[in-house]
Amino acid sequence: MNQELTYWVALAHTPKMWTARKNEIIAYCFQQGNTIVDFFNSDCFLNMELKPQEIELLQQTKKELANYAFMVEDLLDQGYDVIPLTSKEYSPTLKCNLKYNSPIVLYTKGNKQILQEKSIAIVGSRNANELSLQFTDNVAMKASEEFSVVVSGFAKGVDKQALDSALSYKGQSIIVLPQGITTFSSGMKKYYKQIIDGNVLVLSTFHPKLPWSVDLAMARNSIIYGLSSEIYVALSDDKGGTWSGVTEGLKKGRKVFVRMPEKNEKCANLKLISMGALPVGINGETIQIDSIKSNTPIDTTISTPSVEDNIEDKICKLLANGSYSSRQIIDNLNLSGYSVQKMTIILSKMKNVSKIKEGKSTRYSLLSTKRPMQLSLML
Amino acid sequence: MNLDRTNHEYNLKRIFGIDHFYDEQWDAIFRILSGERILMIQRTGFGKSLCYQYPATQFDGITVIFSPLIALMRDQVKSLNSKGISASYINSEQSPEENSATIQDALNGKIKILYIAPERQENQEWIEATRKMNLSMVVIDEAHTISVWGHDFRPAFRRIINLVNLLPQDLPVLATTATATKRVQDDIEKQIGGRLTTLRGRLIRSNFNLYVIKVKSEDEKLVWLAQRLNSIEGTGLIYTGTRVDTELYAKWLVYNGVNAVNYNAGHDAGTRKEIEEGLMINKYKCVVSTNALGMGIDKSDIRFIIHTQIPASPIHYYQEIGRAGRDGKPTTIVLFYNEQVDNSGFAADYKLPKAFIEGARPTMDKYLKAINALKEEPLTESELMKVTNLKTTPIRVIKADLIDQGIVREVVNGKSKTLEYQFGAKELDIQAFEELRMAKLKDLDAMIGYVYTEKPRMQYLCEFLDDDTTTTLSNCDNTNLNKLTVQISEYWINKINEFHENYFPVLEVGTRCGNMINGIAASYYGVSNVGNAIHRSKYENGGDYPDFLLRLALKAYWKELGNIKFDLVLFVPPTHSGNLVKNFAEKFASSIKIPISAGLIKTRITKEQKIFQNSYLKQENIKDAFTYNDPEDIQGKKILLIDDIYDSGATIKEIGRLLTAMGAELIVPITIAKTVGGDIL
Repeated sequence: MNQELTYWVALAHTPKMWTARKNEIIAYCFQQGNTIVDFFNSDCFLNMELKPQEIELLQQTKKELANYAFMVEDLLDQGYDVIPLTSKEYSPTLKCNLKYNSPIVLYTKGNKQILQEKSIAIVGSRNANELSLQFTDNVAMKASEEFSVVVSGFAKGVDKQALDSALSYKGQSIIVLPQGITTFSSGMKKYYKQIIDGNVLVLSTFHPKLPWSVDLAMARNSIIYGLSSEIYVALSDDKGGTWSGVTEGLKKGRKVFVRMPEKNEKCANLKLISMGALPVGINGETIQIDSIKSNTPIDTTISTPSVEDNIEDKICKLLANGSYSSRQIIDNLNLSGYSVQKMTIILSKMKNVSKIKEGKSTRYSLLSTKRPMQLSLML
Repeated sequence: MNLDRTNHEYNLKRIFGIDHFYDEQWDAIFRILSGERILMIQRTGFGKSLCYQYPATQFDGITVIFSPLIALMRDQVKSLNSKGISASYINSEQSPEENSATIQDALNGKIKILYIAPERQENQEWIEATRKMNLSMVVIDEAHTISVWGHDFRPAFRRIINLVNLLPQDLPVLATTATATKRVQDDIEKQIGGRLTTLRGRLIRSNFNLYVIKVKSEDEKLVWLAQRLNSIEGTGLIYTGTRVDTELYAKWLVYNGVNAVNYNAGHDAGTRKEIEEGLMINKYKCVVSTNALGMGIDKSDIRFIIHTQIPASPIHYYQEIGRAGRDGKPTTIVLFYNEQVDNSGFAADYKLPKAFIEGARPTMDKYLKAINALKEEPLTESELMKVTNLKTTPIRVIKADLIDQGIVREVVNGKSKTLEYQFGAKELDIQAFEELRMAKLKDLDAMIGYVYTEKPRMQYLCEFLDDDTTTTLSNCDNTNLNKLTVQISEYWINKINEFHENYFPVLEVGTRCGNMINGIAASYYGVSNVGNAIHRSKYENGGDYPDFLLRLALKAYWKELGNIKFDLVLFVPPTHSGNLVKNFAEKFASSIKIPISAGLIKTRITKEQKIFQNSYLKQENIKDAFTYNDPEDIQGKKILLIDDIYDSGATIKEIGRLLTAMGAELIVPITIAKTVGGDIL
């Protein structure tokens, strides 16, 4: 396995390719009885149906394998673990929840066994009120008593409370980093004892050298939800990281428990409940849904998706037919209000769109989004 | 890649000016060009380096050569550059700026061949750079160092092995060595993993004339060298067992009119380089060195190598003498062995290498001390030294072992590195240490076996290296050559006694003490009566230092420093031992008729330096601890600074800096005794 790590890390950090697509590649390899090494070693990537742009990207990755070898050696030497998707050490919960969006590798430090345990996440605002923190503490205590791991995003407020409470009740915790694993020195030092005692696992899915950023913090949320069998929401606004994470989870049919707010509490907890989240009391205990309806009026309006989201969908549909320039996209979609420049910016932000340079003009096309069979069958 | 030999030999001629590859070279090169991994075991002088240098010129990207030999890097880079091949190196001898510039060149594709010390794998700037380099091939030079069963295992190579295992499988890798037993070969093969082809050549060096001289005392070795060295043709090397001996032997030879110089790891990089260059141009008849010199030096006509002390194993010996006579011409190889048995029942020359093996590892309590400290908090190496009060050497050994066993990892935190205990770490495996110790003792016995063997000596060495030994071998004092012996006349007895009485150890203060220059000690602390006398006065209330110490110190002064006109004598103020040094210094000053001042004083209470095991703590103990009452006394003056014992030198150096800052023109230290590693004060 060790010898393959370079290849896994290289694939994980191949740019401009969706994680789902990478998962497809891995699934294809396994279906054919090949390893990731075979995939990169074969001249034509095992005859897999790849788009020309994808082949180009993967060939570049292949050239950089030696460079990744140096990086992986350095990480392992520093006591970090690199866990690829197909490893037995990979979190089964994460794989089950995220399926084709499972990160290709996990970078961890500490007790990897924690990834195999049942787990809950307690999430909520950075500016949590006293009630939310109390709720967090109660739920963390209950989890620790039941030998459930508490997954924490290590943000201020609820996240931090969840971690510290779990540890104070002699439970175990996973810290999911919004940054590369090597840039967490102060936290590693702070939780040194808990890490070496096996009660904390630090985990990151990003390039090990990346510093903290808003984008990574948002991307990290899906990993927190993915790593947990149950999600407890202490406090949510109707926007921001908690909100988008939870609504996303609900869409995917995840079981989400939301703290029933006090009467005059300003928060979107009730809104989440109205969208299908399960209400719980201050100790995390389930509350009958009927009792809520009679007591509290529920605001069921859900903010509509932004205009930009709609446009991205339209662009995707168009690009599914072929490649177009920014101007052609505007014309085809009748977006008279858009300048070429604005369209180019939108396109550059879309991760599933790739650029094709043809002389002076630039055209855009979709990276493959074909979804083959169930991932779990192959892994 | 075109694999036609004629074609490549055409390139070889064009680039290197060489007509043909040997068949064995081509075999290796062919495989490397095809992306294979090779372990090449070939004798020194075979032309191993061409087997990576040539392919390197044919690849698109850069070839990185991990080598522990700085001298080899320097020589090979020079030679490659002269052929128009862009080569460079990164090592501790260069400034950080020079190394950074080299890394930039490598990133920009300006370098084809890059030599790098394996320790550099610990350097973050290098690791960063490797993320973007266009790497074509990796070479591990002196590959026996990756095996603990090899003769000088280097922990830094462990990381190189891990790296090779992670490299893409079609990237060519070449590991080379001139000295590998079957066991080491197996170990390397196992570590580098599958797909490794081993190419093993013959190791015999038929141009060596091998001698062993058995003696009954250390003086016999000195006398033989004084009598005979100038009659050996050409220039060569003398290897001693310790640093102290390099100084002693070189001084004795110079005393006898032999153009000798001493070289050891205590010299600064500039001096080492100067001596190495002198060696290259035959400036000296011989360089007296510990075995640090000569590895990798590209000098084909080293005509003799003489060991005054047996190496730790036949494999060490083969490696060390292997540096001589690469031109294939007759070369004299001599090994001294002092077989005088003392009360302990061991031969004198068996004791030192045995002590090295026995003392290779600190005691278990020191390991546990370090482990327990690291279970509490992450610590840098120097913090760990402070917390455990252990010396640099044991702490480094402990650190390497703990990392090797996966108990501790060294983690990069910004600019510093901390040692961190690992979750799930196993208990310290002492059994592994014990096995290694037993294996080393066995190797040492095999080295003694070489002294007493009646076989052809080269055959004995080749058998030990598991080389094919079907050829009949000669050229040694067991076959066709005369046995060498030592004859000592009264003339030589007198001469060597006279030398001993006039031989004074140098106090090397280095270059960071301002106007302080190297001083002199009257004796080594370990020398019988001197250490005892000091100890009695200092620690057993034995009164003032006895007069014979004063006479000895005065003798050293007149001989070594008599031509300097000092203005003032100062002495180091005491910690506990009262007025011992003061009284001694006063007598000394009145004997040499130079004014003395007691103006050097302590600004705070310090502890005895000897209780601190490492230089960090020693430096901390005395940092800014001194001052001088009346700086006007000092300005523009030449000062003789007296103390009793020179150990780490931290105190003397600190005072050197202080007096320089106060305007002293020159400061020279003199002490009664100088310790060598291991002396118990």
